[in-house]
Amino acid sequence: MIDAVHFLQAATDSIPAYRDFPLIGSRAAVWIAAEIHLMFAAFVLGVPMFAVVAEAIGIFGKDQRYDRLAKEFTRLLLIAYSATAIWGAVLVFLLATLYSKLWAYLTTIFGVSMWVYVSIFFFESFTLYLYYYGWDRWKYGRAKWGHWGLGILLNLWGTLVMFIADSWLTYMMTPPRDITPDTAPGSIKLWHAMMNHTWMPINIHRLIGNVVFGGAIVGAYASYRFLAAKTDEERAHYDWMGYVGNFIAISALIVLPFAGYWLGREIYQYDQSMGITMMGGFMSWLWVIQAFLIAVLFLTGNYYLWVGMGRIPGAERFRPYTKWLLVVLVLGAIVWGTPHTMIADSRELAAMGGSHHPFLGALGVMSAKNTAVNLMILTTFLSFLLYRRANTRPVVPWARTGTMIQGGMFGIAAAIVLFFGIRGYFVEAIVRIGYSVYQVGAVLSCIVFVTIIDVMMGRGAQSLGAIQWGKMPPRSQYALFILAVTFTWLMGLMGFARSGIRQHWHVWQVLQDTTKYAATPALGQAAIMISVCVLIFLSLVGFIFWLGGLAEKSTFVPAGPAAPTGKEGGHVGH
Amino acid sequence: MWATNLKILGVVLGTLALYTLIANKIPQVQSEVPHALTLGADVTPEQLVQAGEQVFTGIGGCTTCHGLGTRAPNLLTDEKGQGPIGARCGKRESGKDCKAYLYESLTQPRAFVVQGYEPIMPDMGRTLSPQQIWAVIAYLESQGGTVDVSGADIPAAAGPTPGAGPGNAGAGGLAGGSTDPMAIIHAAGCIGCHKIGAEGAAIGPDLTHVGGRLNAAGIREAILLPDAKVTKGFEKFAGIMPKTFGQQLSANQFEALVAFLAAHK
Repeated sequence: MIDAVHFLQAATDSIPAYRDFPLIGSRAAVWIAAEIHLMFAAFVLGVPMFAVVAEAIGIFGKDQRYDRLAKEFTRLLLIAYSATAIWGAVLVFLLATLYSKLWAYLTTIFGVSMWVYVSIFFFESFTLYLYYYGWDRWKYGRAKWGHWGLGILLNLWGTLVMFIADSWLTYMMTPPRDITPDTAPGSIKLWHAMMNHTWMPINIHRLIGNVVFGGAIVGAYASYRFLAAKTDEERAHYDWMGYVGNFIAISALIVLPFAGYWLGREIYQYDQSMGITMMGGFMSWLWVIQAFLIAVLFLTGNYYLWVGMGRIPGAERFRPYTKWLLVVLVLGAIVWGTPHTMIADSRELAAMGGSHHPFLGALGVMSAKNTAVNLMILTTFLSFLLYRRANTRPVVPWARTGTMIQGGMFGIAAAIVLFFGIRGYFVEAIVRIGYSVYQVGAVLSCIVFVTIIDVMMGRGAQSLGAIQWGKMPPRSQYALFILAVTFTWLMGLMGFARSGIRQHWHVWQVLQDTTKYAATPALGQAAIMISVCVLIFLSLVGFIFWLGGLAEKSTFVPAGPAAPTGKEGGHVGH
Repeated sequence: MWATNLKILGVVLGTLALYTLIANKIPQVQSEVPHALTLGADVTPEQLVQAGEQVFTGIGGCTTCHGLGTRAPNLLTDEKGQGPIGARCGKRESGKDCKAYLYESLTQPRAFVVQGYEPIMPDMGRTLSPQQIWAVIAYLESQGGTVDVSGADIPAAAGPTPGAGPGNAGAGGLAGGSTDPMAIIHAAGCIGCHKIGAEGAAIGPDLTHVGGRLNAAGIREAILLPDAKVTKGFEKFAGIMPKTFGQQLSANQFEALVAFLAAHK
């Protein structure tokens, strides 16, 4: 018996630090599992946020459309939850079997938090079941408030789960400074490890990012259902749903860079060399790709709005302006996409007179890029404003003055952005960085005050006709697909940036990766991996959409002429 | 519906293909795992320069800032008629030849900051081995100057630590093993960042009255684990102070320094 115990102990002691995975290798296997798990997780954390907001609008505004929208969002969650859990399990098993040493290290520090994580996930799942399956049972009166409370609780559980998981990965990026390779993992206090430099910035960045991502995927779902719709009623509903999804995604996207800026600053403060690797080192070209992707998002999001104006009576008066908006967006995208640092060998660097291109270099600096992106945000906001006002004519006596004030606010904001953009070329870097705050402040102030004026001006406005929901050309729906694919790909790219800056370290400067996969791949290889992950994710999401369609059919059948009308079946768009 | 499904598939695959293609068309740079550079005593200047160029353009990450001309001086091109770095390095700091200046710039970058630039350079002794640092020095000297780094400059694998430089690395620690606190402070480059009396810079906390804020144990910890507790107001410089003084100083030097600072109340 003792021999057997010794044998087992010897076997345990001889467990290798690493194992390889057939065909694709251990790194690719973990990469795929982690990435797809994360994409599903972002979806199941983002969607409840606006499901609960949509339900609230339905309750307070007494508008059943929003209640139905919230329920439809939640139905998508049920299957996505299972997929999230499955991929999470795959990730854990792969980590435990392929990266045994790292897994043992992390579980020694974070073991307790992992138990808490599982418990909360359990509560979260059952809250979701209650939330969805109790929808029709707790539909009216005080029961409805209780149901809405379940939605809030669902979000609370989800946020806690994400915060806990974020602490593990941020510890790997930025372990507290007093932890060295010689520090015994058992001696590291859990809270100390969790409260690392990038934990809270990542939490906030992911919270907002999840809303963006959830909005984009819901938009894609709506566009799929729109294209598959057989009745005008269905088309109207999914056209509206697609608009809401796109609105949520683009609105949250505008805020996301500020959370990203905070995260970047924390990385620099933690370790300058890590920050430099991220922004100016081997990853510098990643930001050019990111700029291209965000330009696609802005252009496609605006295009969707402009096409959508075709179904709004009165929108034709704004159509001539769209070409100028397009010009600003394209110019902004070109400037934002200009590389800051050219990767070149020493001879090329010497010939160029530095890493900057002699001509394009002036556009590749932060002054130009900040100016470009702020003007792009202003332009997108203007598109939203035109869309919003398309079928109304203000009747308040001060309408003309109000419109002029709004125009003036746009002009002043653009002037401030341009002024500090140009001035940034003539001051030191430390001063220039501060200018971005003034630029962002001007844009956000413009957005807030113009919106307030617009809401006040819209009171009792004359209607030029109802929005013809459902009368959208199919190309607009493909634009929503491009948005969803781009958001997903962008998420994969940013995940690579976050994880890749650890380079050959599992835990930065504490636990080294000694596998043959330790070198961080170039962008080309990373892009292939990202595309594979996105394709697997979207294929699974497509399957979930299809399942959602199977379940939804019963809702729409009653709306047909041969069937009795149900409570929800009678809904028609706007 | 099949036609619609195919169109959707086409849009998704087309978008993915476009992004993948663009990411593969830009310059491909892989972040390699740093390998120990083995340079023997008989290494030739050409070998040093070649190895140094690889570090400079590769894992050293030097071109990230030294090449832009905005963040840090461009080392490979002329600056104000003084030529590239190999030609101007001997004139930067009085009393320091090219080799000593470059070594100081790499291992104590805040000791001398070129006018017009921010003190943003990290201590490369934390990320590069002594061999790599000397190879980079040889490469920089080769840019318009004469390479005078030789195998004799490069410590053996078990030799002095990265922070130990020419003229200050003795068998007993920095400053030839001296236990004179001010000699240690100068040799360790403390005044590159800290003010002591009338000397020094204000990048790190002022040490003139450090004994009033910290007891001896606190000073020991601040030297050995400089980031364990960061003084309020200096958070943005966390991570800059080297963690290598525990290896660079002998026990006698370390205790002499702690006693000296603790007495400055």
